[in-house]
Amino acid sequence: MARRPILGLFDDANAAADAGDGLRRAGIPETDVDFLTDTPYPEGAFGEREEPHRLYIFPFIGALLGLTSGILLTSMTQVAYPIVTGGKPILSIPPMAVVCYEGTMLGAILFTVLGIIFESRLPKLKAGLYDTRITEGYVGVLVNTEEAQHNTVEGVFGQTGAVDVKRE
Amino acid sequence: MASSVEHQTGGHGHHAGMWVFPRKENIAPDVAGKTFSMPSGYKLALGIAFILAVLGVVGFFIRATSDGFGSPGPWGYYAGIFSFVFMVTGAAPLVACAFRFTKSHWRRPLSRVSELFAIMGVVNIFLFIPLLLAMPSIKNPEVQGTDLEVRRTLWFEVPIGAPYTWDILCFVGLALCSMAILWLSAVPDMAQARATATGFRRSLYNGLSGWWYGTKRQWNHQKAGLALLGAFYFMLLIFVQFIFITEFAMSMVPFWKDSVLPPMYTVMSFQSALSMILIVMFIMRRWGGYEGYIGKAPFWSASKILLGLTLLWTYHLFAFFVTYWYGRLEVEQNILKYVFVQPYLIVFLANMLFSFLVPFALLIWNPLRRSAWGPPLAGLAALVGAFLFNMRTFAAAFNTGNHYEFSLSHVPAAVWPDIWDIFIILGGLGIAALVYLLSAKLLPLISIWEVKEGTLYQKMGTLMKGEYLVLAKPE
Amino acid sequence: MQEGRVLSTREVNRDLLRSILDTPRWFWPVVTVLGLILLIAAIAVGIMVNRGLGVTGLNRPVAWGFFITNFVFWIGISHAGVMLSAILRLAKAEWRRPATRAAEVLTLFSLMTAMVMPIVHTGRPWRILYWVFPYDFARGIWPNIRTPLVWDPSAILTYLTSSTLFVAIALIPDFAVLRDHTTGIAHRVYSVLAMGWEGNARQWKLQIVAGVLLSALILPVFVSVHSIVSWDFGMAVAVKSWHSTVFAPYFVVGAVHSGVSAVAFALILLRWCYGWQDYIRHEHIDALGRLLIVVATGWFYFLVMEILFGMYGREADELMVRQTQFTYWPYNFWFILFVITTYFIPVALWLSRAWRRNLWIMSIACISVNVGMWLERFLIIVPGLINKQLFTFVWADYRPSIFEYIIIGSTFALVTMLMLLFSRVFPLVPLYDVKEGDVLKTQVQIGRRTVPATFRED
Repeated sequence: MARRPILGLFDDANAAADAGDGLRRAGIPETDVDFLTDTPYPEGAFGEREEPHRLYIFPFIGALLGLTSGILLTSMTQVAYPIVTGGKPILSIPPMAVVCYEGTMLGAILFTVLGIIFESRLPKLKAGLYDTRITEGYVGVLVNTEEAQHNTVEGVFGQTGAVDVKRE
Repeated sequence: MASSVEHQTGGHGHHAGMWVFPRKENIAPDVAGKTFSMPSGYKLALGIAFILAVLGVVGFFIRATSDGFGSPGPWGYYAGIFSFVFMVTGAAPLVACAFRFTKSHWRRPLSRVSELFAIMGVVNIFLFIPLLLAMPSIKNPEVQGTDLEVRRTLWFEVPIGAPYTWDILCFVGLALCSMAILWLSAVPDMAQARATATGFRRSLYNGLSGWWYGTKRQWNHQKAGLALLGAFYFMLLIFVQFIFITEFAMSMVPFWKDSVLPPMYTVMSFQSALSMILIVMFIMRRWGGYEGYIGKAPFWSASKILLGLTLLWTYHLFAFFVTYWYGRLEVEQNILKYVFVQPYLIVFLANMLFSFLVPFALLIWNPLRRSAWGPPLAGLAALVGAFLFNMRTFAAAFNTGNHYEFSLSHVPAAVWPDIWDIFIILGGLGIAALVYLLSAKLLPLISIWEVKEGTLYQKMGTLMKGEYLVLAKPE
Repeated sequence: MQEGRVLSTREVNRDLLRSILDTPRWFWPVVTVLGLILLIAAIAVGIMVNRGLGVTGLNRPVAWGFFITNFVFWIGISHAGVMLSAILRLAKAEWRRPATRAAEVLTLFSLMTAMVMPIVHTGRPWRILYWVFPYDFARGIWPNIRTPLVWDPSAILTYLTSSTLFVAIALIPDFAVLRDHTTGIAHRVYSVLAMGWEGNARQWKLQIVAGVLLSALILPVFVSVHSIVSWDFGMAVAVKSWHSTVFAPYFVVGAVHSGVSAVAFALILLRWCYGWQDYIRHEHIDALGRLLIVVATGWFYFLVMEILFGMYGREADELMVRQTQFTYWPYNFWFILFVITTYFIPVALWLSRAWRRNLWIMSIACISVNVGMWLERFLIIVPGLINKQLFTFVWADYRPSIFEYIIIGSTFALVTMLMLLFSRVFPLVPLYDVKEGDVLKTQVQIGRRTVPATFRED
């Protein structure tokens, strides 16, 4: 049977957290439940599972690429136009260090930003089940599950005080 | 040694053991018990420190009798170890003041660990005097009436009393200020222990805290006093460090004109003082039975600052290096070669490894910073780095040859320590350890009133389905 | 330290989106006036490019004057954004929340403005391409990376890119709010910018980790930028008083001093313009004031180091520069004014809690700092150049022309206009950050006193 989303809308974050508990008790796997909010709540506030991510790898890769480009750029431009200035060696390490440093940091930051977008699974081209009241402070409990379970889910939403329930 | 008192801990997952919440009513008797007892491990440490101190005294007398104070050269390593001890112990009391100023709750268990270094500040005055004797005079004894009449020093026209009186006054002022901080901070703890302490501690506590009853007014005055003294100590310390490093390192090397050296020395002192405190706290937590007072939170919070200071030190060093490298004047190149890349290259590389690379490589990892051993390990590396920095800088500065030259025309050879220098170095470390170990038996290593106050403002609280730390800030 | 009341999400949205959803009556007239100022400046630049740098007061040997002073000044202002956002975010200071974005945006616009200055200053702006970017394959001419003048663009472009991305990432959740509150073309634009953000647990977690990680990465860049600007001077042996090892940290601390003061003033202005009394509160300005006492004192220490070690060498040509700064008219007047306005007036004002909470007094103190910091850069650059130095065989005084005054003045108009236009389309106070602060607020009861408290994850 097809999996379809169902969204319960709560005007109170505690009620939404209770709905999360209710869904767990009703046998809905944690991975199928998501909480949509307009502000970050501390991790675990809804009793949700910890979200693993690999963001920390991105800056390292970026830094490495940035450093490599920095070294190539600075060494090649010096060697390609070898003119002695100020009595400094043609391949001067201290000035190279400065530009390489900037390259490293730029690479790290660019890749971190890419990582954030990628790990957040953005951009999301196809709009999912959503309600604009979420940015007005409502909490959405989004359950992506078998259609057969929708009545159970709706029951839990009803018991915990959902103000609205939406289906696709 | 396990704690005899029941404590609560907070945090789960990778935050397990992050926070500890000692029971308010148990703190005073438990800490007093630990302070007044003398376990065998402690006795052993005292014994070792004492033996090292004796070696130092022997080394010092042999140096003084065989070489005298006529020329600074033989005293380079003495200056190095003094500078290292002063760097760590001078800046250590400031750590408590700084985090009290920022109202960081995590600082509470480290306050007294930091302030107890003040006592070493008094000993520093006596250790400093031989350096004054070994320092070459500002006026050139051989040349009169020309530009070379005086060395380049920060005293310019040599005001009355310069440099000896002013230098000594600096160290005395610093010691007085830090002792005032220690006393004012320890008054409530001493007052509380007046009744239970026995022997010399009882009379000491009575004498120093007899006036304290803990009225609202007294608490207000104490807190305001600590804030003011902290601010004053901060300014004084930076000033004294500036005088010291300029007088005993920079102005000993002809033409070494380096305006970033004093800030760099100060940053390194903050780095090494924080490192030392983290190491002491690790030992207290691991072997001293203080695990109920010291969670992982102080290490986690301090680690970020240690990382910042590590980067800051390296940045200051690069600022110096690149400016001199770019100048390409002969004298600048000679100085660079002398202090970096020629005679003391191996020490310089080791200095960089321990002061920058090792702490940096350790502290960028979150799990390591969150542990109780990661930050102290990085701290240990930073301390080794600071030690090497001081050895290199002062051995070089004291052995430049003619201190009255207008510029450094050649690169002098390295001077390595002899056996008496090694005795002196070990002695310096031994004296500092001995004084600190004795201080910790005089006053408790935990600032009882601050930890008690902390129990009011920190607890675990529930937000919806999760449990988190609740931090209250009264103002 | 929390004094504000907890506001409902609806109220936060209404208040903080006011600048976007409704245009205040003063908005377009002010933008028009600022636009006119910029137009006059553009004409001045046009004439300057057409007739050459001779129309300015620049000469030999004073090749760097008002333009470079202003360049360093705006680079300095640009240091506030990262200072506040990154350091306070890493330190988990709760009071940072309403101030971060305005500070970051001030960084962006002042950095862009700063970049304009050396471009204008070259007199032949199009030629900058040759010495900045390695693109001239045809003739085999490459940038000389041994000159700090090439480090500058690399640092500034890195900083500008990083800061822009830093702001952009934090804007995504706020774009989603705007997407949900607009219709028509605005809705479509904000939908694209929000990239399909729905505010699930994973997205929020990444947003928070990103804030910390990017802060940690951008801080070393921020320090490097002003250091490299200082090395434009510090690497030169030929101009006495510039070749000082302390220049890098001295410039950075100075930049933070002027930048944070500028942010405090900008926040006061925003509070007044948009009626954000509930968000930018006296406690925030007070906290900035306290931070500034520390920064100002740190800066003063570096100033003393710079001057003292300038004289320490006892070299005649360096002493001459100092003599010019301290004793020759009008530099002595500017010098006294600089020290008083940068340190003594503002710090005296900040020492009193009541004065830190008086927005008029805070504004005066913050403007005073920036007047002083502008003079500081001027006093570093010009007295160094007007004196006889090694390898200079002509020397002259420097009198800026009307062109320089117009162009310098217009940079203030440019930054103000860019800030206003930004606030017209993007929220200048981060909505989600303010709301998160409200979620984490709690209280602890101690005896009869209720003490404000915060939930913390670590």
